[in-house]
Amino acid sequence: MDPAVHATLRRKQRRLARENPGVLAAVAKGASMAVAECQHQFKYRRWNCSTRNFLRGKNLFGKIVDRGCRETAFIYAITSAGVTHSVARACAEGSIESCTCDYSHIDRVPHRTRSAAAANVRVWKWGGCSDNIGFGFRFSREFVDTGERGKTLREKMNLHNNEAGRAHVQTEMKQECKCHGMSGSCTVKTCWMRLPSFRSVGDSLKDRFDGASRVMLSKAELETPAQRNEAAPHRVPRKDRYRFQLRPHNPDHKSPGVKDLVYLESSPGFCEKNPRLGIPGTHGRACNDTSIGVDGCDLMCCGRGYKTNTMFVVERCNCTFHWCCEVKCKLCRTEKVVHTCL
Amino acid sequence: MTGTIIENLSGRKLAVLVTFLLLCQLTCFLIGGLVAPMPANAQMMIATVCKDTTTVKNDTTKWFYNRGKGACQNIGLENLHHDLSETDFVFAFQMPLPRENMILDYSRWQQNLIGVLQIDIKYHSLMEIQPRSVITIDARMAYRNKGDPEEQWRLYTRSVEKRNLDCDIEIKSEHHLYNCSAMPLFELGSLFHDYYLLNIRLPIETPDMNSHIGHIHDMSLIVINQNGGFTKVWVSLKSVFFPSIVAILVWFWRRIHMLQRKPVLLEKMLLSLGLALCLLNMPLEYLTLYFDLPFMLLLGDIRQGIFYSMLFSFWLVFAGEHMLIQDTSTQSSLKQYWRHLSAVATGCASLFIFDMCERGMQLRNPFYSIWVTDIGTNLALTFIILAGISTGIYFLFLCYMIWQVFINISHKRQSLPTMCSVRRLHYEGIIYRFKFLMLATLLCAALTIIGFTLGQVAEGQWKWDENIELEYTSAFFTGVYGMWNIYIFALLVLYAPSHKQWPAVEDTSDTQNLSEEIEFTPLQERSSEISSLTSFLKKATID
Repeated sequence: MDPAVHATLRRKQRRLARENPGVLAAVAKGASMAVAECQHQFKYRRWNCSTRNFLRGKNLFGKIVDRGCRETAFIYAITSAGVTHSVARACAEGSIESCTCDYSHIDRVPHRTRSAAAANVRVWKWGGCSDNIGFGFRFSREFVDTGERGKTLREKMNLHNNEAGRAHVQTEMKQECKCHGMSGSCTVKTCWMRLPSFRSVGDSLKDRFDGASRVMLSKAELETPAQRNEAAPHRVPRKDRYRFQLRPHNPDHKSPGVKDLVYLESSPGFCEKNPRLGIPGTHGRACNDTSIGVDGCDLMCCGRGYKTNTMFVVERCNCTFHWCCEVKCKLCRTEKVVHTCL
Repeated sequence: MTGTIIENLSGRKLAVLVTFLLLCQLTCFLIGGLVAPMPANAQMMIATVCKDTTTVKNDTTKWFYNRGKGACQNIGLENLHHDLSETDFVFAFQMPLPRENMILDYSRWQQNLIGVLQIDIKYHSLMEIQPRSVITIDARMAYRNKGDPEEQWRLYTRSVEKRNLDCDIEIKSEHHLYNCSAMPLFELGSLFHDYYLLNIRLPIETPDMNSHIGHIHDMSLIVINQNGGFTKVWVSLKSVFFPSIVAILVWFWRRIHMLQRKPVLLEKMLLSLGLALCLLNMPLEYLTLYFDLPFMLLLGDIRQGIFYSMLFSFWLVFAGEHMLIQDTSTQSSLKQYWRHLSAVATGCASLFIFDMCERGMQLRNPFYSIWVTDIGTNLALTFIILAGISTGIYFLFLCYMIWQVFINISHKRQSLPTMCSVRRLHYEGIIYRFKFLMLATLLCAALTIIGFTLGQVAEGQWKWDENIELEYTSAFFTGVYGMWNIYIFALLVLYAPSHKQWPAVEDTSDTQNLSEEIEFTPLQERSSEISSLTSFLKKATID
């Protein structure tokens, strides 16, 4: 692993990477998957999920991450979803050898010691292991949520959005079954969960982005810390940092569910370049002159107008694909009209 | 069949016996629910795409895997280079997956391995999948045992198979995935070795081959194996049931031989039902721990088939023998039931042929499937439909016979008070016997059907309490298995001939009648012996 990348990790993340060989590759893949998905989902919006070289700056997505707006919520959710998805996938590939054998019947706590590992062989022989997403989910909680202690409202927002991303991966999974009873009849049926494609996770998160709810801390929540300390004098269990309820900013709205994205402040305008917020602005972006939506030139260019260029492009067309590596295409010359914002 | 134990058993003894059997039943259910894990375990694994750098591509000694010494060189499917050809790609699945930093291996208790292949195909407007595309798979399976060097994989089997790609897509947009249904790939009847490796290639030998399968994004394999714990619980149940059923059979047969007469048809049927159950109960799974027996899946099907056909035939004959209209001339034999039994026979034979075509062929080639070709599908469907029709006809027959028995019973009921006591007792005995079995059978069948439906509706685990997790599927299997064992055990006990003296307490008036009746049966040697009533029964129907 690139030492420069390693330097960006927190201490706990480094420990996790050391304990789970192969996991960093999966995390990196998950992160790049998340970026690609974010850029795909926001291709036609004023904010297009542009990234910077994150080894130089502090944040991959720029300073937008430091704010508490919708876009921030989406970034957090898609990143934690990407890590969950990619780690679960790596478990199924066998490239992470420390994935847990989560046989819920017997043990729920992941083991770390040698003797516990031997017990796990017994568990496998007795009841089998089948859990990929469980490890992905827990690992993402440990790795992505490092540092979010859930004390401040902003940290709670991050935790909520991270959880929402993971919940989307989990609920997008589809169950499939196979019958293998007498003569192949359905007297015996075994089912498994199929990992969703990351595109469908991105799609459903984008839906939640459009309907994200603005929140503030609930009154009850402000009072509970004192109560909780009374009830549990010892260390508060880790899981408890996920147990909070956010209150909608508009009291008429429903309080946000597990899969909803939440934000604290309204988004800045993304029209003009704003170095303080790390916003590049929409100058020079392509737009669609016939659309009246967010990808239309009116909205995209924020009323600054656009210029139209006509150009001839040579494109591949009428392709036929042959497994594995042969794509036979014709080259077509087409006229294209491109509109770009001023 | 005449005077059986159930008629002469006092109400208290019967209650004790039934309670004991119900407790056994509950135990079976709870063992499955609380001790045993799920019957089978599914593990999803995603293929590692390996680059085949060898020049000889048909070499079956060269294996590709992603873990351990000699692991292959990975290539991604996202950006395919044009200098690669399809022969350079090998999709490797190394089973089982590692967990908790441990290299797991298969145990022989895990019995069998079923593989289902799932292909994720990315949508590309330029390369859409055509409907009813066929994918050709060159599948090679290797095995390795503990202690072998890590690169020493040995060929288990290889085959070039065709499968139908059944894919659809909701949103036709770039990079969305097709929704392809999973295709059964292989079935191994024995899990004898420790590690398995599957290498899949998608060859192009003719221009048509694998040309319309789109852009493969991922290939995943779901391997299903029976859980070791479930096998252990199952085999223990068998080890308990087998000797008890054998013992009760011996007792039953000795009891019949102590009689002065030859065994009647119903007793023979009971005996063969018991034998069929013994065959099913035989804990042959122990052998799989020491020998490689790939035919165990097939044998299991055959054993179950024999048992079910015997059970179905028994019900028919039982209903027929309790018609209360007996043939005077001959002792009833199986020949009388040939029409009814032929339905059972046809059903079983067609299921057997189907099973031989599918699982029988899989003994030779684990990748074989009858459902792939059109002819095979039609053939399989024919046999299955034939079996379904025979089952339907069988149940019509059975219901008709039971209905007749009930009509006869109500007829006889009306004339019961006018009969002499011996004949009345005799008929009451028959009616009681029949009703008891009807009740028991209906209860067992209803429980089986309800259990099965519940299992289909509510998947997996049931929770009654936060702390008690009931593994419902396993509980259903052990419960049903135990129930039919207990059912047949009870039949063998309760329907064995009784040694008790025929009506011990008699009115004087009745004895008079009895002596009157006995005059018709001069051949009787000992009127007290139960068998005397066999011939008496025939007389009874005449007058």
